[in-house]
Amino acid sequence: MTLEATAPEQTAPAREPVLSIKQISKGFGAVQALTDIEMDVYPGEVVAIVGDNGAGKSTLVKILAGVHTADSGQIFFDGRRVTIPTPAASRELGIATVFQDLALCDNLDVVSNLFLGRELGSGTLDEEQMEQQSWTLLRQLSAKIPSVRIAVASLSGGQRQTVAIARSLIGDPKIVILDEPTAALGVAQTAEVLNLVERLRERGLGVVLISHNMADVQAVADRVVVLRLGRNNGNFRVPDVSYEEIIAAITGATDNAVTRRATARPTQEVPEA
Amino acid sequence: MYLILVADQRRTPGSQTSLREANRARIVDAIKKHGGLTQVELAGVTGLSAATVSNIVKELTASGVLHTAPSTRSGRRAQYVTLAHALGLVAGVHYSTRHMRVVLADVAHTVLAEHHLPLAKDHRADNELDRATLLIADMLESVDSELDELLAVGIALPAPLKTATGTTARGGILRGWDAVPVADVMERRLKRPTFVDNSGNLSLLAEARLGAARGKSNVVFIDVGDGIGSGLLLAGAMFRGHNGVAGEFGHITIRENGPLCRCGNRGCLEAIAGGPAVLEALKPEQGPLKLGDVVIRAMAGEAPFVRAIAEAGKHIGVAAANVCNLLDPERLVVGGELARAGELLLGPLRHAVERSIIVDEESMPDVVQGQLGNRAAALGAMILAIDSVEISTEDAAIA
Repeated sequence: MTLEATAPEQTAPAREPVLSIKQISKGFGAVQALTDIEMDVYPGEVVAIVGDNGAGKSTLVKILAGVHTADSGQIFFDGRRVTIPTPAASRELGIATVFQDLALCDNLDVVSNLFLGRELGSGTLDEEQMEQQSWTLLRQLSAKIPSVRIAVASLSGGQRQTVAIARSLIGDPKIVILDEPTAALGVAQTAEVLNLVERLRERGLGVVLISHNMADVQAVADRVVVLRLGRNNGNFRVPDVSYEEIIAAITGATDNAVTRRATARPTQEVPEA
Repeated sequence: MYLILVADQRRTPGSQTSLREANRARIVDAIKKHGGLTQVELAGVTGLSAATVSNIVKELTASGVLHTAPSTRSGRRAQYVTLAHALGLVAGVHYSTRHMRVVLADVAHTVLAEHHLPLAKDHRADNELDRATLLIADMLESVDSELDELLAVGIALPAPLKTATGTTARGGILRGWDAVPVADVMERRLKRPTFVDNSGNLSLLAEARLGAARGKSNVVFIDVGDGIGSGLLLAGAMFRGHNGVAGEFGHITIRENGPLCRCGNRGCLEAIAGGPAVLEALKPEQGPLKLGDVVIRAMAGEAPFVRAIAEAGKHIGVAAANVCNLLDPERLVVGGELARAGELLLGPLRHAVERSIIVDEESMPDVVQGQLGNRAAALGAMILAIDSVEISTEDAAIA
């Protein structure tokens, strides 16, 4: 937001957001979960969404993943206006979501999990090809997986997270959404996942990271979007913001300059598709 | 170096012996990367057959390189293979402004396990020391060792430290760590002797023992990352100064009324050529960036990034020339994150040194890139820990 506000004219082709959501609202009966949410994600950028319980983080993710549909507002992907009615539509657009529960099959090995539902080979499975591709992918992510032929049940938390993230990359997505990737992980596993987020960023993917852990967020994110009670309550560039300012925005201890400026500014003209 | 070359040339590349040698190296590398693995997993990771793995592991265990212990994997019996570590272990921890690296090594400098992770801006001592403690415990477990095998811990911090108090010498440089007696705090947590030094000094120590400054006795090491620091090796000994804060290269004033530095002064080298300054200069056009991106994109030949690094090199060179005129070193070793750009940084730096140095061309110090890359400070912390503990022969009997 600050970026657009200061340099609206300098839209070099490389700096188009890959995902842009405008004025998204969503209600569940009497509960207004999201109100006029705005967010941009650029390629090669890690955007963290933070907020208290009930701030609307999960609802926003579920809208992007196609689990819920928004009541109003627009979603732009690669500059085109899109709708995301189903999870399959989200995946087809190039949005890969890794949910907190990872949705891995514990009894299957790493290769089968990576290619579940997208197996290679016609008639018979091309196991060799799949195993090779699995190793290539895991090596690119510098993953510490000892074997791709062991059941996922015997992997550590961090390794399971790695497998889930690797699986999300198989369809060549442009955006990867990670919902609480470091919750319930040990310190070594957290280190692995944070390094993994940096690898994704280096590959030029847009990463949306939802986390409660402020230290993790500040370690890897380029930008922090704060939600509070279903509304935008701040959009900070990490190099310019202190820990205290983010916490203040989350808890509502201050109203911040960014939102004040945004409300003072006349409503932006939204390009209609 | 020469000896190794000769040995390599004598062995024909396609022969059985060289193949076996390569397989041995693959196994040792895999174990180093994972800390410890079962033989079956080793076969998976290296792509070697189970029989080959078993043979090589047996051979290397006999020669004392590896250590095996019975274990179970998915209910089956398995051999858990780790590197052998006689005499005990040490840990080296390096905190930089945005990164942390922990190495676990034996006293023969062999790194057994290594972890690194990005850190938040303005990270805090309590949180990060906790994290290091847990990581060390975790790594000890991964190499099949107990906490009592750990002899000492070395910590490298990116700030000047006062020897007398063991705290940072000036507030504001490493905000979350001000007034924390790091060694004491860590000793209380791990119950192990802990030694703390500036990361510039420790990078120099590592480069002097294992890297680009080996065999030299007058060396200036320059660490160019988010901050700019240095270490001084004078007449074969590390120079720390009266308070222990010698080598604050980044806070040399190069422009009297220049930009404000985080130390509170104006015109420091760091405020002009340090990481944040480099990023600030690129920000208007390029969006969110980290120093690592700048290096990668400069090496890919993108002009604004090449220019930004060259500009930083030029300023650092001016300061380096002053230091060279003062100390007359034999070699300048440049390390840190920005040094990964190699000649893109070193070229302009060297040029600036050449312009302002007082000695003639033949006596100029050579300006080289560090060999240990961004691991230097962590390895230096490890060496500091090894140097600080006494290893008696009784310890050997226990191990």
